[in-house]
Amino acid sequence: MATADERKLELERKKQRLAEIREEKKKREDEKRRKLLEHKPGAAGEPSTMPTQEEVERILQDVGISPQAEPLEAGNSLGADGTPVKARDRTASPAARSLFTGSARVQHLSKAETTQVNFAPRDNVSYSKTTQTDVETAGREFVQGSLELWEDDMETAMGGDGGLVGDEVFNFDESPTHQLAGLLPHITPFKPAEVASSDQQKGEDRKKQLPDLSEEEKAQIIGTRDFQTFFDRASRVIERALTEQVDIFVDYSRDGTDKDRMDTGLKLSLSRTFFDEKWSTGRCVTGLDFCVQHPELIATAYNNNESAPNEPDGVVLIWNSKFKKTTPEYIFHSQSRITSVAFAKFHPNLVMGGSYSGQICMWDNRLNKKTPVNKSPLSTTAHTHPIYSLTVVGTQNAHNLISVSTDGRLCSWSIDNLNQPQEAIDLTWKGSKQVASTCLSFPLNDVNNFVVGGEEGTVYTGCRHGSKAGVVEAYDGHYAPISGVDCHQAVGPVDFSQLFLTSSFDWTVKLWSTKEAKPLCSFENHNDYVLDVAWSPAHPALFACVDGQGKLDVWNMNEDAESPAASLVVEGSPALNKVMWMANGILYSVCKVVLKEYPLS
Amino acid sequence: MADVEETIKRIQSQKGVVGVIVMDSEGRPVRSTLDQETTTQHAALLQQLSDKAKNVIRELDPSNDLTFLRLRSKKHEIMIAPDKDYLLVVIQNPTT
Repeated sequence: MATADERKLELERKKQRLAEIREEKKKREDEKRRKLLEHKPGAAGEPSTMPTQEEVERILQDVGISPQAEPLEAGNSLGADGTPVKARDRTASPAARSLFTGSARVQHLSKAETTQVNFAPRDNVSYSKTTQTDVETAGREFVQGSLELWEDDMETAMGGDGGLVGDEVFNFDESPTHQLAGLLPHITPFKPAEVASSDQQKGEDRKKQLPDLSEEEKAQIIGTRDFQTFFDRASRVIERALTEQVDIFVDYSRDGTDKDRMDTGLKLSLSRTFFDEKWSTGRCVTGLDFCVQHPELIATAYNNNESAPNEPDGVVLIWNSKFKKTTPEYIFHSQSRITSVAFAKFHPNLVMGGSYSGQICMWDNRLNKKTPVNKSPLSTTAHTHPIYSLTVVGTQNAHNLISVSTDGRLCSWSIDNLNQPQEAIDLTWKGSKQVASTCLSFPLNDVNNFVVGGEEGTVYTGCRHGSKAGVVEAYDGHYAPISGVDCHQAVGPVDFSQLFLTSSFDWTVKLWSTKEAKPLCSFENHNDYVLDVAWSPAHPALFACVDGQGKLDVWNMNEDAESPAASLVVEGSPALNKVMWMANGILYSVCKVVLKEYPLS
Repeated sequence: MADVEETIKRIQSQKGVVGVIVMDSEGRPVRSTLDQETTTQHAALLQQLSDKAKNVIRELDPSNDLTFLRLRSKKHEIMIAPDKDYLLVVIQNPTT
């Protein structure tokens, strides 16, 4: 029986414990209610004051006793009078019902709950979360936000303060608009405009700090040397960048058709024309050279423009063949017409020009100056006739500028000193006959021997040094003035340095060897003056010649000595008067006013 | 002076170029082909960007310096050529 007693005892103990647990639970729930009540007055939307818990309880008691409580309270909690609360109780969840029946306080709590249902505390949480962030991010998060949130955001934006102080939180809660929020449609806030205006404000702040430059100031800045230098450099870079046609976004996997790559079957085609509206118009190209250090730079010399007497007579333009920029890199000019041009080979910044007056001009692209930085004086010790040919020979340490004029004088100059020539030789044949030379060529890597073409159709070879400095040999064969002469340029195991080509007004190009008095070969494919000829620097059997009808021929003597390997007539048949090869096999020719580039396949 | 005008005109005439702005290092426009409002906006913002980019380059390597800045966007390409005291900005539309 003891066991029965024990069981009873245990049962009682368990009951007691259960009751304890229940009470504890009730207490906890009470606590919870109270906490909720603390929130409730805020959510209830009292106009200005923040009621304490006691106040709330009192109010609720009032409500419980007399149904005629404050109208606002009634509006807030629909269960202001007894019956609606009861009615709601029946429909409320079982948990809520149990709470309601818990204690005297619970009665108030149930009323609190009705308000709680209306305004979930979560609202509060999300609100404070966003207002703690800065204005801009908050704005982005609340693109879909309700009106009152937005208004508060505006307030903070106006206040300029990122965080919210407690007052503002309650301002929001007490604001009557939040009651309307549920009823009103969502309005998309015009946040972007707000952001922009704040940015503008920032911009205006900046402006206030730094007043805009006045017109005079601007003009003054533009006039300064610093600005000029900056602008010169920056505009050059920009122009290159602008004209670069490379599409870095090309997607080969999507666009398989590359129309530009179509093979036209032509061996020779015109790829580019260099022309400057102001400086090339009406001028004839007289000289052509490229820079050894920067092979993309091409110098062209121009004759005078008769229709523009106010412009300088002589012009040298430096073009850049690497970039698709249509304007010249540098523009140089001089008082006298420039009849020949050469880069100073070992000084990449210097450009030399031979003028019609017989002066040598030197330009420097390091200086922002268009006129020559150095000029040889007009004197009888140098040239007094037009310089039609100019070339730099020698090595880095010992090189000379060689010029030849139509009075038959050959001068060699030091690049550093243009005051007087280092050496002047009067070219004469058989002691008396003046050699009026129009063109000059040195064999590859030779500084002593040279070939000049004469105006009367005879070609002469000569040497600069030694006991018989001057003309050594004469070669007859052409019947008209020689327009161009070029010594063999290609480097190879076989020495072809004795070979040279001449072009003449007698419509032919002739191949000579210094060892033979008569031409080795005559190329007669032109029907006009042949104005220039040039050996290919890459291929020993290849050369190009141009004529007065715009025809450009490329000959390959290994294949055919009777007809050119490739031929091209330039559109409009302008007279082509200069031709030049680049080391990479691109051919340049020059017609009256335009410089053209031909890639050769 | 005339040279500057001429160059600006030449750049402006390039295909696809929308505008050219020359400004000083403070972002104040010195010369522009755009209207007042656009110029002010661009100048202020691009100067800041260029400054920031310069700082980045300097931070990475103190002996280095920013020489050119190209911004490719869907609609435009903005090219900024900064210098010690001035900036040259060209806005172009590379697709046309």
